[in-house]
Amino acid sequence: MPTRKSERDRLGLLQGTLDLLILRTLVFGPQHGQGIARYIEQQSDDNVLIDHGSLYPALQRLETRGLIDAEWGTSENNRKARFYELTRAGRKELVAETHQWRRLSAVIGRILGPERA
Amino acid sequence: MFRRKRRPDDDFAEEVQAHLILETDRLIADGWDPTDARDAARRRFGNVLAAQERFHESTRWVWLEQAVQDVRYACRGLVANPAFAATAIVTLAVGLGLVTVVFAVFNAYVLRPFAVRDPYALHQLLWRSQDDAGVGFRWRDYQELRGRTDLFDDAIAETSRLVTSKGHPLGAGFVSGNYFDVLGVRIQAGRPLARFDALAPGGAAVAVLTDEGWGRIFNRNPAALNSTIEINGQRLTIVGITRAEFSGMNDSPEDLFIPITMYGAITAQDLFGADQPRNIVITGRLKRGVTAVQMERALDSFVVRVVNRKDAVRAEARTVATPNPLTFDLIAALSPVFAAFGLVLAAACANVSNVMLARANARHREIGMRLSLGASRSRIVRQLLTEGLLIAVISGVAALALASLTLRAGLAMFFYGLPSSIVWLVRVVPLDIDRRVFLFALTAASLTTIVFALLPALQASRVSLTHALRGNPGTHLRSSTLRHLLVSAQVAVSLVLLVSAATLIFNGISIGTTNLGFETAGVFSVKQRLSTGPWITKAAETLGRNPRIESVAVTDVNPLSEHLPRMPVITGTGDAERLTPTSYRFVSPEYFSILRIPIVRGRGFTAAEAASEAHVAIVSMSGAKALWPGEDPLGKAVSVRVEPANQERGERTFIPANAPRKDVFDVVIVGIAADVVSGMMVDGVDPSHLYLPTSPTGARAEQMLFRGRSRDDARMDRLQGLLRAVNADPLAFEVLPLSELRLGQMFPVWGASWVGSALGLIALILSVSGLYGVLSYTLSQRTREIGIRMALGATGAAVVRLIVSQSARMAGLGALVGLTFAFGLLKLLNMHLRFRNVSWLDASAFATGLGLVLFATVLASYLPARRATRVDPVETLRVDV
Repeated sequence: MPTRKSERDRLGLLQGTLDLLILRTLVFGPQHGQGIARYIEQQSDDNVLIDHGSLYPALQRLETRGLIDAEWGTSENNRKARFYELTRAGRKELVAETHQWRRLSAVIGRILGPERA
Repeated sequence: MFRRKRRPDDDFAEEVQAHLILETDRLIADGWDPTDARDAARRRFGNVLAAQERFHESTRWVWLEQAVQDVRYACRGLVANPAFAATAIVTLAVGLGLVTVVFAVFNAYVLRPFAVRDPYALHQLLWRSQDDAGVGFRWRDYQELRGRTDLFDDAIAETSRLVTSKGHPLGAGFVSGNYFDVLGVRIQAGRPLARFDALAPGGAAVAVLTDEGWGRIFNRNPAALNSTIEINGQRLTIVGITRAEFSGMNDSPEDLFIPITMYGAITAQDLFGADQPRNIVITGRLKRGVTAVQMERALDSFVVRVVNRKDAVRAEARTVATPNPLTFDLIAALSPVFAAFGLVLAAACANVSNVMLARANARHREIGMRLSLGASRSRIVRQLLTEGLLIAVISGVAALALASLTLRAGLAMFFYGLPSSIVWLVRVVPLDIDRRVFLFALTAASLTTIVFALLPALQASRVSLTHALRGNPGTHLRSSTLRHLLVSAQVAVSLVLLVSAATLIFNGISIGTTNLGFETAGVFSVKQRLSTGPWITKAAETLGRNPRIESVAVTDVNPLSEHLPRMPVITGTGDAERLTPTSYRFVSPEYFSILRIPIVRGRGFTAAEAASEAHVAIVSMSGAKALWPGEDPLGKAVSVRVEPANQERGERTFIPANAPRKDVFDVVIVGIAADVVSGMMVDGVDPSHLYLPTSPTGARAEQMLFRGRSRDDARMDRLQGLLRAVNADPLAFEVLPLSELRLGQMFPVWGASWVGSALGLIALILSVSGLYGVLSYTLSQRTREIGIRMALGATGAAVVRLIVSQSARMAGLGALVGLTFAFGLLKLLNMHLRFRNVSWLDASAFATGLGLVLFATVLASYLPARRATRVDPVETLRVDV
C-alpha cells in the first residue's frame, strides 16, 4: 500500500463530524456509500480514515431524519449501488452545521494559540 | 415519518454487500491482487453483523419488539410454573382487591362528582358563627338570592325528608322547579320536573323517580312511568325516571323528586306562609369568573340579616361537586383505615417479592446464560420487570373482580347487621367500579410491581458469570438476608393488625356485656323526626290513656341516644372547694319505674315537682360519692348551669336572638338513684349524674319513653297506629325499641372488630405462607448441609430444633418491630380517642396477637423442617451440585 499513510498518523473523527462530511460530499450530486468514503479520504489526503462499519448506520440516521434521500442505481463501473442525494432540509442543515463548525474551530484555534514547532 | 415504510434489514445487508464489491473493485483498480482486495475490503468494513445489528436497533420499533418478546417469554414462564403464578397472582389480588374496596367507597363518597353539568360551579350557602353553623334558610331567602344575578347564573332550593308510600319509608327530595334544568340532570324515561310543575303552592301532583327508587318501589317495572304513587296519602303521577348516575345531591340517595310546591300538601308544614320554617337548602351555580370567596363576601350582610342571631354570623360557600369535600381533616380521620388496608397490601407485596426472589435465585443459571450470550443487565432487569408487570396486571384485573364481589358481600353483611328498625331508612350510594376505581387498581398494580419485582430483578441480574454457569449463585448470602428481612416485615405487619383487631374485639366484648343498670326490654323511645310544632303533651296523653301501655315518661334526651350534656358543679367552700364535671338529664317521675332504676335513698320526684319543674334533683350513687365524699347528700344544695330550654335539638338551625346562653339555678338533692349507663356505651357508667324534674307539659320535655304491658302490646305496627292519632304523618316520629338503640351503638364497634380481624387474619395467612415458602426454598438449598449433619450423627429433633430456632429469630425480629409499632399506634389512639369504657392499651390483646403469630410461625417452620430431616443422608451426599 504505497499511497497509504500508516494507521497511526491518521486523524480520529470527532463525534458528529461524520454526518457533516457526508452532507458536504453530497453537495456535488448523488453518490453511493463507498464513493462517499473514498471521496472524504481523498479530500483529506488520507488523513481521515472512514470506518466503513459506522458509515452505513450514519447514512441510515441521516435518511431517517429526512436530510438525505436514497435510491438504488448503477455505479460507473456497472455495479448495483444505493445512491444518496441531499434533500432541501439536508442542504439547510449543511449550511447551518458548516457555519457552526467554522465558528467552533476558529474559537478553539484562538484558544490554543499559534502552533509552535 | 410514519408514511415511509420501514427499510427492511435485507435491504441494508444488500447495501453492505454492494459496498464490499465496490471497494474490492477499487482496490483491484489500485493494483491489488483480487483475493487480497476482497479480504482487505472486508477488513476495512469491520464486523458486518455488528453493523447490521446497529441498523436494526436504530429503528423505532425495537423496544416494542423486545417488549413483545419479554411478554411472550413471561407468559411462557407463568404457564410453565402454574403453582408459582397462582400463588403470586392470588396473593397480590387479595392485597390489591382490599385496597380497591376502600378506594371504591372513598371514591363514591368523596371523589366522584355528582353526574350534573359542571358540578364544580355549584356552591351551597351556609351561615357560620363562632360555635355553630347551618344550611337551613327560608323560602323568601331563596327568592331573594335568586335575584342576585351578579353572583349566580341560577340557584336551586331543595329540602329532603322521609315520606311514606304504603307503609314504606322513602327518601324524597322536594325541589324547586328549575332543579333539573340548572343541574342538567339526565333522564332515562319520561321527562324531568320543570318550572311549570312548581308554579304555586299545592301545584302539580307529579314526581320523578330515581333509578334506585324505581327499583325499590316498582321493581324496575316499565309500567311505573305515568302511573300514580301514593305519598303520605297524596296521589302523584310519575312523569320521569332519572338515569342511575344521579340520585340527588346528598350522600344518602333519594328515591324520588317532588316539586317543592307540594311540600305543604304532603307534610302539613307550610313553607310559603307568613312564618316560614328554616329548612331550605340553597345551592347556586356561580357565574363564570365569580369565586367562592367573592360569593361569601357578597352574601355576608344577607346572612346576618336573614339568620338574625345575637352572635356574629358570616356566609360560607361550600362546594358540593362531590357528596363530601376532600379535606385534610377527612383524610386524617380515615388514615387508620387506609393504613390498615395498605399494610395488608404491603404484606402481600413482601410475599410475592419473596417468591420472586427465590425464583430468580433458582433461575441464576438461566440468567447467567443470557448475560454471557451478550444480554445487557438492563435487558435482564427489564425482562424480570415485565414478568412482574404481567403478574400485576393479571392480579389487578382479578382484584377488580374480587373488590366488586367483596363490596356486594360487605353491603349485604352491613344491612344484615343493622338493627331491623332502621335498616329501611339506610341508603348507600352506588359503590361502582367506575373509571376512577379502574385506574386506581391498575396504578396500584403497577406501583406494586416496582415494590415486589424491582428488588428481586436487580438482585438477580447481579450474577457473576462464572458462578452462575457453574450453578452456584455468588449472591446467595445477600439475597437470603433480604428474604429474611421480608419475612420479618410480614410478621411485624400481621402482628400490628392482629393486636389492633384483638384490642377492638376485647373492647367490643366488654362494651357489649356492659351492665347498663336499667332494663331495655319492652321499652320504646319516641322522638320527633322533624320539628312540626309541639306534640309531646298530646302524645304522652294519648299513649297514657291506652290500656296496652303500662306507663309513659318524658325526658329532654332519651337514654342510649347521644353523649350526655355536661356542666361543671362546684361543691364545698374555701380550700375544700371542688369542681366536678357532672352530666344531667331532665326526666319525669315515671322514668325510674319504666327503666327499673332503683331509688336507693330518699325519694323520687313528685307529680307537683314535675309539673312545675321544681328546683330539686336526684343524684346518681357515684355522683353522690364524687360531689359529697363521706357526707349525706340528701338535703344538700348545689348550683347548676344547664342549656336553655326550647332550643330545637338536632337541627339547631335557629336560636332566638335574645336566648340566654345558660340557665343557672340552685337545686336541692332529694334522692339517690343507682348508677346506670345512659349515654354512649363507650363512655361507660355516667360518672356523676343529676336528674332534674320535668313533665309532659314542662318546657324541658322533648322526647318520650314508654313500656307496653306485654311483649305483644309493643309491636311496631300497633304503635304506628297509636301515634297516628297525634300526627297523621307516620314518619313524623322515630319509634325505636331501646334494645335496638343498644344494638345500634354496638354496630360500629362490631363492624370495626370484624374488619380488623379479617385484615389481621389475611395478613397472618400471608406471613405464614411467606415463611413457609422461604423455609421450603432454603431447606431445599441446604439438603446437603442437613445430610452431613445427620450423617455425623445429628438427630432429626436436633435438626428440627436448629431450623425452628432460625425461623424463630426471623419471627422474633418481626415481632419486636410489630409490638413496638402496635404499641405506638394504640398509644396514639389512647391520646386522641378517649372513652371511659375503652382501653386501647390492653395487655391481653398484645398477648393474644403475639401468641397467634408465634404459634403460626412455629407451625409454618416445623412442617418443612420435619420434611427436611426425612431425607436419606447418603442420598443427599451423592447429589451432584
